[in-house]
Amino acid sequence: MLEIKNLHVKLEDEDKAILKGVDLVIPKGEVHAIMGPNGSGKSTLAYVIAGRDGYTVTDGDILWNGESILEMEPDERAAKGVFLAFQYPLELPGVATLTFLRTAANSVLKKRGLKEMTTPEFLKHVRAEAAKLGVTDEMLKRPLNVGFSGGEKKRMEILQMSVLAPTLAVLDETDSGLDIDAMRVVAQGVNALRGPERSMLLITHYQRLLDYIVPDKVHVMARGRILKTGPKELALELERTGYAGFVGETA
Amino acid sequence: MATIEKTRAEEALAANFAGVADKLPGGRAVAEARSSAIGTFGALGLPHRRIEEWKYSDLRNVLKDALPPAVGSAGAVSEAAIDTSLRQLARLDAIRIVFVDGVHRPELSEAIETRGIEVTPLAQALGKPGVGLMHDDLPGHAAVVALNTAYVTDGAVIKVSQGAKLARPVLLVFARTAAGSLVTTRNVISVAADAEATLIEAHVALASPKGQDNALTEITVGEGARVTHAKVVLSGAEAQHLGTWLVKVGQSASYRGFQATAETGFTRNTSFLTYTGEDAKADISGVFLARGNEHVDTTLVIDHAVPACESRELFKGVLDGRGRGVFQGKVIVRPDAQKSDGKQMAQALMLSEEAEFDSKPELEIFADDVVCGHGSTCAELDEDLLFYMRARGIDRETARALLIESFIAEATEKVEHEGLREALQALVIGSLQRGKV
Repeated sequence: MLEIKNLHVKLEDEDKAILKGVDLVIPKGEVHAIMGPNGSGKSTLAYVIAGRDGYTVTDGDILWNGESILEMEPDERAAKGVFLAFQYPLELPGVATLTFLRTAANSVLKKRGLKEMTTPEFLKHVRAEAAKLGVTDEMLKRPLNVGFSGGEKKRMEILQMSVLAPTLAVLDETDSGLDIDAMRVVAQGVNALRGPERSMLLITHYQRLLDYIVPDKVHVMARGRILKTGPKELALELERTGYAGFVGETA
Repeated sequence: MATIEKTRAEEALAANFAGVADKLPGGRAVAEARSSAIGTFGALGLPHRRIEEWKYSDLRNVLKDALPPAVGSAGAVSEAAIDTSLRQLARLDAIRIVFVDGVHRPELSEAIETRGIEVTPLAQALGKPGVGLMHDDLPGHAAVVALNTAYVTDGAVIKVSQGAKLARPVLLVFARTAAGSLVTTRNVISVAADAEATLIEAHVALASPKGQDNALTEITVGEGARVTHAKVVLSGAEAQHLGTWLVKVGQSASYRGFQATAETGFTRNTSFLTYTGEDAKADISGVFLARGNEHVDTTLVIDHAVPACESRELFKGVLDGRGRGVFQGKVIVRPDAQKSDGKQMAQALMLSEEAEFDSKPELEIFADDVVCGHGSTCAELDEDLLFYMRARGIDRETARALLIESFIAEATEKVEHEGLREALQALVIGSLQRGKV
């Protein structure tokens, strides 16, 4: 279970508060969506969960399965099951995708106290997952994300997620830059990973993605706080009314 | 010429010659060339920062003491010791020819039984009539060549015959055992028309981290020939390596040079490449690592003397501690050399605040129908990429190593010979890991 309690975050180098008291609980096995306008703090929340540098938590806490993760390094969090699918996946020239996947998978397995996979085991596993996402062998041999289209990069994020088998997946604007077909493939990949042991947080600007990945709950975030929580129908309501009502409200 | 007071090293370099001259190989003509060269050196002295080509690598200041020249054979050296010094290169399936302290060692070298290649130790070749030592007047570089001519003890004279395609690379090993000596070597290589060869020079230290090398390689690439020429310098934290390459590339030939330098106190590699025939392609690339107080200078002079040739250079440096990298890349396009195509890039990855990278590209273009470009970058490890990898469970150290690997890969990927490429990549990455404290 993810519990975010009264989380206040500012940028490390300037006194600019971005998150101003976020409260959020995602029980085991549930998928929640956070929707909100640009600049509402959605991506910051994703980064702070994953442990990126450059932010200072001034108040509050993030508990994952009852344990605070705020002091943990990003790789320790990953070992605890936290995964962030990036809005803009980065390119890593000179490092083959398979090499990267294997390094990541084995690092996580090792930290989780599990046995590292042998090369044949690993290849079999990755190829099976890759096939589901339409990731070709040729792509696996290429340097990570180099020369990949936007859709290919997003599919690669989902592939990494399925290989690392996280228990908390945060997907930051995974729908951005995707056409309907690519979104369908990505959504299928995400839906396949839904399960009673896995919590997910979808961050999105548009309702569209939620037609394909139906959330258990929808939260509206604006101005650094969660202002409204409701069932999946809330997303449709937002689609009609827009964020204007939330942006205007004073905190 | 204004007289400048000679430094201790300059005096010793000139004076030591008399003591060793009669022990150096070669007939009378060679002896005369040597003696004339030491005269040239005496007049020039060591290059210093007021000489444009040595602006960032003040040799007069760096070379405080001239070490005594190594002459004569060192004691027994085991093949295992050579293997250890070669690191990942040791496993490469290659025709190995070994020189220890500048002297050919047949017992450590493979007997040449391959058709199409002839290898003679330079010391032996110099005894024959008609074999001399090149003494070209290279701008800004005459003093270094003069010292080489004066003191050279041995090296490999290699002839690859017309159309020969060598299945295995030739690995020339220059190992130093003697503590604190000057080792001077020269290779004279010619690859005849349509031949294919991969040649590697490895300059390594067996024991002492201290020493001075003056290593020169002349290589002539015949019409339509394809040559890969790699050089590895792993000479020791207190060693000083002065390297010179003189490359002549013939019509429609392909020359691919690669230089990897690490764990060496001071390195200056100067390469002069001239096209002697049209439609030729050349690539000189490399990777250099400097940490502590190490200094690696790569200086290139690419001369498009004839039309329609292509040149590519890509150097990648990883600089840590107070390490310093220097890149000087000059591309000359002569008035008639239309349709010349030159591209150059030098990039440094800075791992510390105190590291320094000086990059000086120079284009001298006298023809109008040419495509020439150059670039240089200097950057720290990308924090966003580090976070991306760490968010996938990869620890900081491994993520850093992968990023550095990613940075240098673009250069090492230029090496076409698979075994050599993998050995060079492993050697560089291994060296980076050794450097961790």
